[in-house]
Amino acid sequence: MILESHKLKKSYRDKGRLISAVHDVSLRIAAGEVAAFLGPNGAGKTTTIKIIAGLLRPDEGWVRICDRNPHKNQSALKLLGAVLEGNRNLYWRLTPAENLEYFGVLRGLSPRIVQQRSHVLLERFNLAHKAQTIVGALSRGMQQKVAIMVALIHQPRLLLLDEPTLGLDVEATEEVKQLVREIASQGCAILLTTHQLAIAEELADRIAIINQGKVIMEQATHDLIRQFSGSAYQIELEVSLDPARRLKLENLGTDIETETKLRVSNLAALYQVLALLKPLPVLRIQKEEANLTDIFLKLVREQ
Amino acid sequence: MNLIWLFGAELKRGWILQRRYVVETIALMIGLTLVFCGLLVSTQNLVGPDVQLGDRLDALVVSYVLWSLSLFIMGNIAGELQQEAQTGTLEQLFLSPIRAAQLLIIRALANLAPQLVINLAILILIMAITGNWLSFSLFALPPLITVLLSAYGLSLVLGSLALLFKKVQQVLAVFQFLLFFMLMAPMETWTGPSYLLGWLLPITPSAGLLRNVISYGAPLDWILVLLALLNSALYLGLGLLLFHWAERKAKKYGGLGGY
Repeated sequence: MILESHKLKKSYRDKGRLISAVHDVSLRIAAGEVAAFLGPNGAGKTTTIKIIAGLLRPDEGWVRICDRNPHKNQSALKLLGAVLEGNRNLYWRLTPAENLEYFGVLRGLSPRIVQQRSHVLLERFNLAHKAQTIVGALSRGMQQKVAIMVALIHQPRLLLLDEPTLGLDVEATEEVKQLVREIASQGCAILLTTHQLAIAEELADRIAIINQGKVIMEQATHDLIRQFSGSAYQIELEVSLDPARRLKLENLGTDIETETKLRVSNLAALYQVLALLKPLPVLRIQKEEANLTDIFLKLVREQ
Repeated sequence: MNLIWLFGAELKRGWILQRRYVVETIALMIGLTLVFCGLLVSTQNLVGPDVQLGDRLDALVVSYVLWSLSLFIMGNIAGELQQEAQTGTLEQLFLSPIRAAQLLIIRALANLAPQLVINLAILILIMAITGNWLSFSLFALPPLITVLLSAYGLSLVLGSLALLFKKVQQVLAVFQFLLFFMLMAPMETWTGPSYLLGWLLPITPSAGLLRNVISYGAPLDWILVLLALLNSALYLGLGLLLFHWAERKAKKYGGLGGY
């Protein structure tokens, strides 16, 4: 296990009131796994990320990155890379190559190794042509890619990405998504927070949903979606139903949603329905599947 | 080895920024020289045109350049901490396996050489304008080192405030005048209890010793150098302690991010 956090608690005092920012948050991420940490604004995502990164001390609980506690053992930080929210991770007056060089040495690498890895990363991230451009003059998408490169220069085992696609255009978002997949495929554990649930659904192997400081759900993405998906099937035809078939289908308990769309909620009746439809051309048969947005809203509202 | 590499990286970063933003450095040098000219004209106005400043002008020049050097050091530690909190890179610095206080000291040491060059240029400009050329000896080095140690200590104290409260521009602005007083205070001419009290002030005893050597050509009293070293070590230690405390507090209350 690369990351283990156990019952993290953090409270703040605000105008005399004690506010629980994070309560009993436990997470585990294995090598090569992408975990998405989802929650409404102020739910405790960034607080948890900062506790994991050693930037914020928990009131209770512990964090281990490859069995090292970043709050007690400074060397644990060698195993961690982080891109924190916004465009606040780089020196804007330096170029990508200079940022990589500086932060690489700051993470404990020798200048020679930093040079080699910078070259590889700039090529891999398709930014070699911008290596000598001041970061402040780069597009937001490029800045984010440089921030990810900087977080990867020391080849961390755990990568924390706080809202990595926030404010990026479609093309840059796709590039970042592709990079996340590649980085995970090389064995790095990734914890990302995002408000873009479609991205989380696409990238994450595991989903943790946090609300009001508490993790209300943590599961493998496909299990979560399966759990919230119904057993009904949607059938779409290329042609309209004739009245005789329509009547027979209704007798079988089929919902006729439009002239060409049916919904079969009784699985036992599916093959009878298909037999009745024969030989009409079928455009699509699909099992109804919940999406992460519906699941997220349902869970958060229920709570 | 890591710290040596970091020193090299800081040296390079500082050099790149100085070279890339050379206009800012030149403007700062001219600004500081002009402020001295204003100070000199006001002083001459106060004492009257017939009074020759003589050795006191030398003392004024030495104190002023020390003040400017100390401001650079403070800007380098407290000012940069505040700026990094503002631009957001501060959290990335704290994600390093190297401790923040170590990093700041190494950064300050790496920037010392260019700062000394800049301040030497200011000194030469001032000497050329006043026509008053100071003579330097190697004996000026020990008190200069203690001045630097004190300046680092005070910078760490201010850095601690920057870490905890972020917006410390007002404090830094007021502190510049306080520092000006501490560097200008003619402790070497004080007697009795005020002289003894002077030894407790930060940076003042070291500045007095340096003035004595450069402006008045006095021989170096090694006992006083030792006392000045103790004084600067005390303030450096205080700065380091406060910084560690502020770092712990900032991590407890989430003070590293946001501005």
